[in-house]
Formats: sequence, structure tokens, C-alpha cells
Amino acid sequence: MKEKKEEIFGQDIRVKNANLWYGDFHALKGVSMEIPARAVTAFIGPSGCGKSTFLKCFNRMNDLVSGCKITGEFRIGETDIYDKTTDINALRKSVGMVFQKPNPFPMSVYDNIAYGPRTFGIRKRAELDEIVESSLRASATWEELKDRLHDSATGLSGGQQQRLCIARALAVQPKIILMDEPTSALDPISTGKIEELCEELKKDTTIVVVTHNMQQATRISDKTGFFLLGELVEYGDTEEIFSSPKDERTERYITGRFG
Amino acid sequence: MTKVKEKIGRAVFAVSAGICILAVVAIFVFLLAKSAPAFAKIGVFNFVFGDTWLPSSSDSYNAPLSGEYGVFTMIVGTLATTVGALAFGGVLGYFTAVFLVFFCPNGLKKVLSSAIGVLAGIPSVVYGFFGVQFLLPILALFAPNNGAGLLATSLVLGLMILPTVVSLSKTSLESVPRAYYEGAVAMGATHTQAVFKTVVPAARSGIVASLVLGVGRALGETMAVVMIAGNSATYPSGLFGSFRVLTANIVLEMGYAGEVQEGALVATGVVLLVFVLLVNILFSLLSARAVKRAVKKTKNKKSRPRVGMRIRDFFGNLAYRMKSSSIGKGTAIFSGTFTALTLVCIVGFVLIKGLPHVTPHFLFGKFVFGSENITIFTSIVTTLMAIALSLAVAVPLGVMTAIFLHEYTAKENLFVRIVRGAIDILGGVPSIVYGLFGLITFVRLFGGTSSILAGGLTVSVMLLPTIVRSTEESLRAVSDSLREGSYALGAGKLRTVFKIVLPSALGGILSAIVLAMGRVVSESAPFLYTAGSVIWAMPTSYADNGATLAVAMYRLAGEGWHTNEAYATAVVLVGIVLILNLLAGFVAKKLQKKWNGEKR
Repeated sequence: MKEKKEEIFGQDIRVKNANLWYGDFHALKGVSMEIPARAVTAFIGPSGCGKSTFLKCFNRMNDLVSGCKITGEFRIGETDIYDKTTDINALRKSVGMVFQKPNPFPMSVYDNIAYGPRTFGIRKRAELDEIVESSLRASATWEELKDRLHDSATGLSGGQQQRLCIARALAVQPKIILMDEPTSALDPISTGKIEELCEELKKDTTIVVVTHNMQQATRISDKTGFFLLGELVEYGDTEEIFSSPKDERTERYITGRFG
Repeated sequence: MTKVKEKIGRAVFAVSAGICILAVVAIFVFLLAKSAPAFAKIGVFNFVFGDTWLPSSSDSYNAPLSGEYGVFTMIVGTLATTVGALAFGGVLGYFTAVFLVFFCPNGLKKVLSSAIGVLAGIPSVVYGFFGVQFLLPILALFAPNNGAGLLATSLVLGLMILPTVVSLSKTSLESVPRAYYEGAVAMGATHTQAVFKTVVPAARSGIVASLVLGVGRALGETMAVVMIAGNSATYPSGLFGSFRVLTANIVLEMGYAGEVQEGALVATGVVLLVFVLLVNILFSLLSARAVKRAVKKTKNKKSRPRVGMRIRDFFGNLAYRMKSSSIGKGTAIFSGTFTALTLVCIVGFVLIKGLPHVTPHFLFGKFVFGSENITIFTSIVTTLMAIALSLAVAVPLGVMTAIFLHEYTAKENLFVRIVRGAIDILGGVPSIVYGLFGLITFVRLFGGTSSILAGGLTVSVMLLPTIVRSTEESLRAVSDSLREGSYALGAGKLRTVFKIVLPSALGGILSAIVLAMGRVVSESAPFLYTAGSVIWAMPTSYADNGATLAVAMYRLAGEGWHTNEAYATAVVLVGIVLILNLLAGFVAKKLQKKWNGEKR
């Protein structure tokens, strides 16, 4: 087990012919995709098209759903993440996740961020202090929260909570961060802050973001994939997808004719 | 390393759940094993339908019987008083619930709701004593037999099932979508019409389920009935004849029963258990249907008329049949007021009569054997010992079982269904049956004499279902997004459960524990023959026997010449219940606040 933990090095994600069923429902149909490292990749598509489901394959959160069956090949770097010997907890350490609705734990700001490092055995106060500060700085929240480290995290505003959740994900130094509609519950100003953050974070992390908001995709992403009814309809450079989509369905979606 | 830990954790939780199954199996095996020879000797038909109960303590299994063992009079007595209790407490409870939800000023609603919670916590012996001291003298003014009998029992039992009926009916009334009410009002219905013709019918299944659960309570109630029914083994004749119920039979004779007699008393427990289980099955069918109906209603307006509808119609449309909703409104207001006054009356009566006798000496003085100067210090110590033991057993087991059920089982597999079934059965078993079970298992196991150890263990089994259910409810209230957040950070199941889920659920779990303490304090039937009823000797270890406060009160009230001390003990009991109720609410609120943050 031990050596496996250190194996998840790479950052580029390669998926071949992924299929996923929830019980009888075929939610992902033969999706293949290569997601480049140190870039922002956006998944767009109408509700229920499978984009969030696909995202959750990368940190195996779908394992928690009963009746969920997955086939196909998922690799991060060289590691096959659905291999039997893969340590799920180590995988989730390398692949962080930010959820649609901010979900700070009902404890202090400090303890929220220290939760991940503590999970992996870091106990020294000084070390934790440093991680908390650097994570908050990285999520552009340090100045706002440095005096409120020991206040309850649930008392923060929605935008602060979401950035705290990003800081919490950063605290275990993930190689990849998955964001599942991270701004859909936030106001425009908070949304702007988080988008700026994505720009900053992609310098050393791979970011995959699911969004309903096409403007957001054009603002922050380098690559965009359009999903419809469980299929990846089109995938390419964001500029290209939005300026000259090859598939008619993509065009109709981005011009707002359905969805 | 972590994988091994996770596996061990899972195994420990599963074992706890297994123990719940084991408890149910043990109860049935022991009761059946003990009663089978008696059923065989007496004959099942003769036992159930025979109407003469003349036991002989010298009867043994290898000689012809000289006594007669038929419990039919008691079956009739039990059913009669249950119907009486339902007619009084059920109807009163239903209208009180309607009052609380729709006609009660907001400030009063909170007070009255928590007051009804207190009513639920008041020990059975205090109800019985209230019946003897308050109700019987009033009834005796115009009735024979000192007022004892079916009427008095039904009234007291009715009061005792009231909280069950009110709280469940209230929940189902509150869960009716607001849109139903608004729809009715928007069409020109008055508030009262909307309530009785739209909301109440929509909550029918839940209300009927609450009545059925009340019936379960009434069937299994022991001590209060023993104190006011008169207890002669005859059919109840009219409203004031002395009669005996099944539970009373066990309590009255278990202390000195001979061989066959004891078997017959356990068999009485089996008959009682059968009745209660039938009622509980009915309850789960009804509540399952309530859920189904609620789902169906939104999908499909057409529903077939059913036999059960007619019963539901009766209660749902009680007001409708009175031709006018305003009578319903009046009845609801009257019922609410009556319930509130009754509560004030019980608590006030006990306080006025008992408070002057609650002296420091009475509470903490040394009891000299043979002295008339009674103190209850030994009982306080016994009660504390029993609480400590039963919680030490029931809380870890119950919480771990709940964790297993809610956190470790995504799917309802066979094992999970059996565990849930076991918990439901345990929850329905009447406390006197727990007493019987404790007597033939723990007491026999520890050398045949009653001890606080045996009593505490008996009651811990009784507490299990409550703790499992309320823990599970608290776990359910923890948002899944917190679990996901923890897993997404690479935390395992154990860490997620212990660091995120349990702390968030702590308020609910702690308040359940506090209420469980109240249960230990107020129960007397399961302690009577397992922990004993000695009040003059200070227990020095768990091997000693001792009377808990409620048992002591039963003794003092029954003997007749320590009425003042009985009143004083009642004050102590009611006081403890009150404090624990307040504490439970406080704990839940306080911890909730802490975990949800100060601002919000």
C-alpha cells in the first residue's frame, strides 16, 4: 500500500471509453477525453447531462453512490485510478474537490483547513499554522480571515465559505482540483473573486470546473467540453468551441437555444 | 494500516447491531421456553379462554393441577380499559393536537408542547398515585367500589397515552403541505373550515397511526393500572367493578409464584406481547401507508376506497359529522385547555401535597430499619447506580448500532432489515415484559436474587431502541455535503464518522441520553423483580438489591400508611423529570448553536 500512495504524480487526466450507470440509468456513454495539466478545463451542458457525474469519477466520489457502476480507463499521469490497488484516500488527497454548495465543517476556520493535513498525520502546531496561513493566502482569504481563525466557519458569508473550502482543499496540496459549479450559490462579487483565484491556481494545479454559466467558461477556461445526455459532444480549445463549434448541438446550446 | 482500522471499525459497529438482534431473540427464546411447559400443562385454549384464575402455589409440572389458570377475564379487562383509554385520551389528544397546530397562540404553543413532553415523562406510579389520591375520592362521591374500576383506569390511562397521541398527530398535521391550507382559504373557506376539511383529512393516516401507537402504550401499561383497577380476577362489570389486566397479573403474583404459577405468569406476558406486537405491526403498516399515500397523492389523484378509510374517516371527519366545523374548533380549544389544566392539576396536586414533606432529612437522612422515619437516600443512590449502569451499556451499543445502520449501510440488505425489525420489536415490548425477561435471565444468572446489576442490565435492553432511533435521527440530520467534504479530502469512513458526523449530531444524541436517564428514573415495572424493592439498606455494590425511586414510591403508596412520604417521593420524581426535560432541550439547543456557529 505504502508505495502506491506516492505514485499519483502526474496531473494530466486521460480517460478512455468511460461508461457509467446509476442502476439502470446509463449516465455516461463512452466518454474519452484528455485533460491537460496546469490549465483550466470547463465542462458545460444542460442539467442532467452527466458533466458532474464525470467530474466525480476523477476522485471516485461516485463510489459512495450505491448502485453505481463504472467501466473504462481513467488515468492520472500513469496511475490507473480505478485499479484495485489504488488507495482511494491517497487519490482524494491528490485530487481535491470544491462543491456546488459551500460545505464548511461546523468547526473553526483553522480546524477546517487543518482537517485534511491532520487526516494524513500532521500534528505539529507550527506546521499546521503554516499550512493554514499558506492555504488561506493561496485562496486569497488570509487578509479577511486572519483575525477570525478561531471563529466558527459556518458564520462566514457564502463567498468566504466557498473560498475557505478551496483553502481546505489546497491544504493537502492536491495536484488537481475539481470544482462542481463552485459559484452557482454565490453573488457576482464572490464569483469574480473565485474566478480570479482559478487563474492564479492554475500556475501549479490542474483545474477541472463544471459550470452552468457559459460566460464563466469563456472567462476562465482554456479547454471546454460540451456534454449532452451522457455523451461528450464536443471538446476543444475554449475559444474555438465558442467561436466556431463544429457540432450543431453545441452551437444551439451556446447560443442559448436550449438548456 | 488504515484499511485494517476501517475493517475493525465496521466489524465493531456490525457486532453492536448484532447484539440488538440477539436481545430480541433472547427475549422470545426465554419467554417461550419458560412458558411452554405451562401452556402444555394447562392447555393453550384453557389458558387463553378460561375465565377462572385460581392459582395454587404448590402446583408443579409433575403432579396434577389443583389450581385453575385462565386469563380470559384479564384479556377482556385489558381490551376494555384500552378502548376506554382510547375513547378519552385518543380523542382528547387528537383535538389537543389540532388546537396546538392551528388554534393556539404562538407563545402558548411552545409552553404547552413542552408541557406535554413533561406529561410523557411523568412516571407511571405517579399517575397511579394521582388516580388513587385525587380521582378515586372524586368518583367515590357518586360511585360504588371507592370509585375504582374501569372508568378510573380508562381516565388515567387516557391521560398517559395523551402525549403519544398529541406529539405524533401534531407531527403529521404539521407535515401537511401549507399549499393545501392556502388552496382552501383561497377558495373562500374560513380558517376553521380549511383546517377541518382540508388539512386534517390529509393528515388522517398519521393521526390514526398515533392512535394505534397510543393503544400499544395502553396495552402494556402496568403500575398505574395496578394501583386503581381493583385487581380481582373477574370480568369488569360496568364502570366501577374491580377487574384485572394482563400486566397487573404479572406484577401482583410474580413475587411469590410457585412453579406452574410462574410459568403461567410468563405465559401471560407472552399473550400480552402477542397483542402488543399485533398493534405494532398495524402501526408500521399504517405509517408505511401514510408515507405511500403522501407520495401517491402528488402523483395520482385517484385512490381506491379501503376498509381502513372508514376508520380514518371517522376520526378525520369527526368535526364534519357534527355538521359544523365551528363545533370542531370549540372542541379543539376545549381539549387544549383541558389538557393544560390537567397537567397543572397533576403537577400542582403532587407539589402541594408533597412539597412540605420534602425535607433534607427525607432526602439525605439515614434510614434506621424499623423506624417510621422514612428517608429515600438509599433509593436515590440505587437510582443513580441503575442510571450509570444502564447508560454505560445501552449508550455505546445503541449509538454504534445507529452508526452501523445509518453510516455503513447504503443498501437495505437482509441483515439491516433484521436489525431494524429487531429495534422495532424491542421498542414495542411493554416494560413489564422486560421485567419478566430480566427476572428469568439476569436475576437467575446472578445467583437467583435480585440485584441492581440485574435491574440495570434489564433496563439497558429496554433503552436500546430509544437510543438507536434518536441517534439515527440525529445522524440523518447531518447534511451529506459534510460527509462528502470529508471524503473528498481523503478522510476515511471512521475519521469522517468520528470527526465530522458524530460531533454534528452530538446535540441530538446527548438530549436522547438525558431523556433515557428520565426513562430509567420513571420506570418501575422492569425494576420491581430485578433490582428489588428494599428501601432500608444502603446498597454497597451492584450485587446488592435496592429500590429505585419509582419502585420505592410504589411501595410507599401501596402500604397505605406512608402517604406523605409517597407524595414527597412523587415530588422528587416529577422534579427530576422536569429538570431532565429542560436539560435535554437546553443541551440540544446549546450544542446545535455551537456547531452551527454563533451567527445565523
